[in-house]
Amino acid sequence: MSHDTIVIGTGMAGLVAAVRLAQSGARVLVLAKGVGSTHLCPSTIDVLGYGPQRIERPGEALAAHVEANPGHPYGLVEVSGLEAAVEWFKEQTVSGPLGPYAYVGSLEANKLLPTAVGAAKPSAVVPETMAAGDLRGGASLHIVGFRKLKDFHSALVADNVSRTEVGGPVEARSAELDLPAGGRVDLNGLALARHFDDAAFRSAVVAQIVRRLGAEERVGFPAVLGIKDPHGAWADLEHRLGRPVFEIPTLPPSVPGMRVFAILREALRRSGGELILNAEVVGPALENGRLVGVRANLGRREVVHPADHVVLATGGFASGGLELDSRWKARERALGLPVAGVPAPGEPRFTDSYFEEQPLSRAGIAVDRELRPVGPGGEPVYDNVRVAGATLAGAVPWTEKSGDGISLATGFRAAELILQTTTVAAVTA
Amino acid sequence: MTTLQTEVLVIGGGATGAGVAWDAALRGFDTILVDRRDLGEGTSGRFHGLLHSGGRYAVKDPHAATECIEENLILRHIASDTIEDTGGLFVSTPDDDPAYGDRFLQGCKDTGVPAEEVDVAEVLKREPRLNPRIKRAFTVPDANIDAWKCIWALADGATRHGARILTYHSVVALHRDGDAVTGARLRNELTGEELDVEAGFTLSAAGAWAAEIAHMAGVEGVRVAPGKGIMIAMNHRLVNTVVNRCTMPADGDILVPIRTVSVIGTTDIRTAHPDEIPVTQEEVDQMLDDGETLVPGFRDARALRVWAGVRPLFEDVKTGDTESTRDIGRSHAVLDHLERDGLKGFVTMTGGKWTTFRLMAQDMVDVMCRQLGEDRACRTREERLPGSEDGETYQLGHRLRVRERELQDEQLVCECELISRSRLETAMRERGTANLDDIRRNLRLGMGPCQGGFCIYRATGMLHAIGRQDGPSAAGSLVSFLQERWKGVWPILYGDQLRQARLDDWIYQGALDVEHAPATAPVGAAPPEVREAAADGLKVSAA
Repeated sequence: MSHDTIVIGTGMAGLVAAVRLAQSGARVLVLAKGVGSTHLCPSTIDVLGYGPQRIERPGEALAAHVEANPGHPYGLVEVSGLEAAVEWFKEQTVSGPLGPYAYVGSLEANKLLPTAVGAAKPSAVVPETMAAGDLRGGASLHIVGFRKLKDFHSALVADNVSRTEVGGPVEARSAELDLPAGGRVDLNGLALARHFDDAAFRSAVVAQIVRRLGAEERVGFPAVLGIKDPHGAWADLEHRLGRPVFEIPTLPPSVPGMRVFAILREALRRSGGELILNAEVVGPALENGRLVGVRANLGRREVVHPADHVVLATGGFASGGLELDSRWKARERALGLPVAGVPAPGEPRFTDSYFEEQPLSRAGIAVDRELRPVGPGGEPVYDNVRVAGATLAGAVPWTEKSGDGISLATGFRAAELILQTTTVAAVTA
Repeated sequence: MTTLQTEVLVIGGGATGAGVAWDAALRGFDTILVDRRDLGEGTSGRFHGLLHSGGRYAVKDPHAATECIEENLILRHIASDTIEDTGGLFVSTPDDDPAYGDRFLQGCKDTGVPAEEVDVAEVLKREPRLNPRIKRAFTVPDANIDAWKCIWALADGATRHGARILTYHSVVALHRDGDAVTGARLRNELTGEELDVEAGFTLSAAGAWAAEIAHMAGVEGVRVAPGKGIMIAMNHRLVNTVVNRCTMPADGDILVPIRTVSVIGTTDIRTAHPDEIPVTQEEVDQMLDDGETLVPGFRDARALRVWAGVRPLFEDVKTGDTESTRDIGRSHAVLDHLERDGLKGFVTMTGGKWTTFRLMAQDMVDVMCRQLGEDRACRTREERLPGSEDGETYQLGHRLRVRERELQDEQLVCECELISRSRLETAMRERGTANLDDIRRNLRLGMGPCQGGFCIYRATGMLHAIGRQDGPSAAGSLVSFLQERWKGVWPILYGDQLRQARLDDWIYQGALDVEHAPATAPVGAAPPEVREAAADGLKVSAA
């Protein structure tokens, strides 16, 4: 069966593009090797946190950031387009299968959320369940950890967060609970989140901490407050503790990210889109040099999936969308697109200073204004392929804190661009 | 200023220095060992882990070959817990002259190295990843030895016999009284404080840095040619037997399986200063190509880490400079400065190799005893090190076996190296260190495929939780670990290891924002109890 659009990749960018297209009536197929970056990342929509100084108002700062960083992916979208994408995403979450689980915030101001080492990280749009962690202007916090969750250390968070510069005093104390009682000594975030789905477990947690809390203290937990009904678990804790409660993201697996995956996957299903995991795209299907679909490994068979459009959203080196071999040749793995920003042979790819920007950091797929991949001379490679998310060249998202912002903006933009073309417009009409 | 008194001051906490401290302490001398950094952080911790059978030197340096096989057998007895008996192979690859095999066999026979030619087909069954086009193969009793485990066992043993170990203490001056060296001025690198050691005898086991120490004593003409060698650890045991190319010693001709990885080495490049040993891209490419010759597909395997060490090759000034340091003899030399320079109470050890460290230590302490007119016999040939009392060699499955016993009771902090929470916390307390890199060497924390991606955050939290550090110092330790780790990974970042490194970037920068955490530099930020421990001489525990 032929699809209007094949989306390659199930991270934030791919799912956003797929859902947006499917909701407009396009026949969409998502192919992915596995689940994407959602399961690894905190899934706060960090639009722009540092440039390199801490940024308070990301919407306002975008234009200057693009100017200072030529070729930055934010140069491919308008601020209004990013705002529209944010509003759309918020609507998906609140009306989705986990609703009223919601995202809050906007491009107007970054919140400063505590991280698992107690830094204050600028984030624009965040789950409502994290919002009360906002440190701006000072805060009084009680950070609760769990002995069995080795991936979150509440005392470290409390000690450091009380020393952050956030425009006001931060007081923080901590507790470590030995819950759930019995059972395995090691729990990961997902296992603990399943416990938080259970009201009896939440009662036990509340019973251990409620009497210790100071009058003004907000209560911070690792971001594991439920996976089936996170809003219910969070609201229940706020109600029983009688104060704001918030989540703090930590090491993978990311429970908030899994929630985003569940929300967007369900939105795709409701709109008639399809998703196939364990389907690794290994190359384009070509006819007379024109891309007419993709070739994917499905089990041991190679299958051709015809499509009018393709959105490539396989991620960067972290996700395996891009690859560098031992002879230092970079490769885009799904369609074999040219990779830009890779230092020439003999040039350094990295420096010996970890926290400096590395020469390879901005490598990725270069695109034109229409998000179509281009070769070294700026010539388009395929006119019906759009590239979105971390596959794009030009950003250092983990440093500037812009990962999910870029993915949301460019995934949404890729869908809009495809919807503007005649073939899909006929379907949507 | 604090003044410590001792009979023997040992400078340098590598294998030789620790071996000297162990030897001297066993002979009943009151001993202090100092190192400017942690034990085994210099050359001794930067090798491929090969316990030589002597085969490598059988043709080129028969004397060294005999020393190696003798010491190999002694170490299997006294330090068994630090040795895995992998056995070794010499193979003639398609690029090697098969006729060399005959010279090799003859050399082994002449030097006492047990070697035997074996059927290539059998070898390929045992080591299926080896180049199927190898032409000849010989077995030898090579093994691997865990450098840090062995050095800490030596230090632990010495401590049990009264020795004091001062890590992070650099020698800033040697004291002289007329024609005798009488001790040293030290600086505590963690606190900046200085202290004096009054010593009856000073033994310099500073390896590649021995010339600098000799210079401090006013001795001229001691020269050590630092020869840089790089090594790359690969993610898997590509082979389970040590594999050597059956040729004259050259670059990239040894592949050593050790713990869960295999290490290829090495190069040999003359370098100006032992502290400046950068790894170049050309060296990495050369190692990977050499790996392909031994194990086809080597370049597709995952490289974990690369490092460089400096061989302390004693330079005989009379023969002048040579282009290649490999031609300088590997055998050690004890410089008795009384004979050489008329200076009492001071001996320098130069040259040598890991496998013969015990012999070197014995020679050095013998020279001291002779000068002192003491007749105290060396006991290190027989005395087993702490942890090796039962004489059992290390087995690869050891940690898994321990893990299975404690599966229900112990958190696993480092999945790659199977390190439990209590083991980590005990090491942090006993070492009295706030430096995660010190813990790494003790426990192999963060040395597996993720290179600390997950365990280092956990370890940071635990370091803070047991009260060893406040939040900013703990974050500083984390930042410092990430930077130290980066030095060893960036030259080999390709394939899956680049992917892993980028995931770690997302975790530490993208999610945790460590670069903006309130962090203080770890050195100098050690809490009071650490400083006290350092001043008293650290309590030492075998890892």
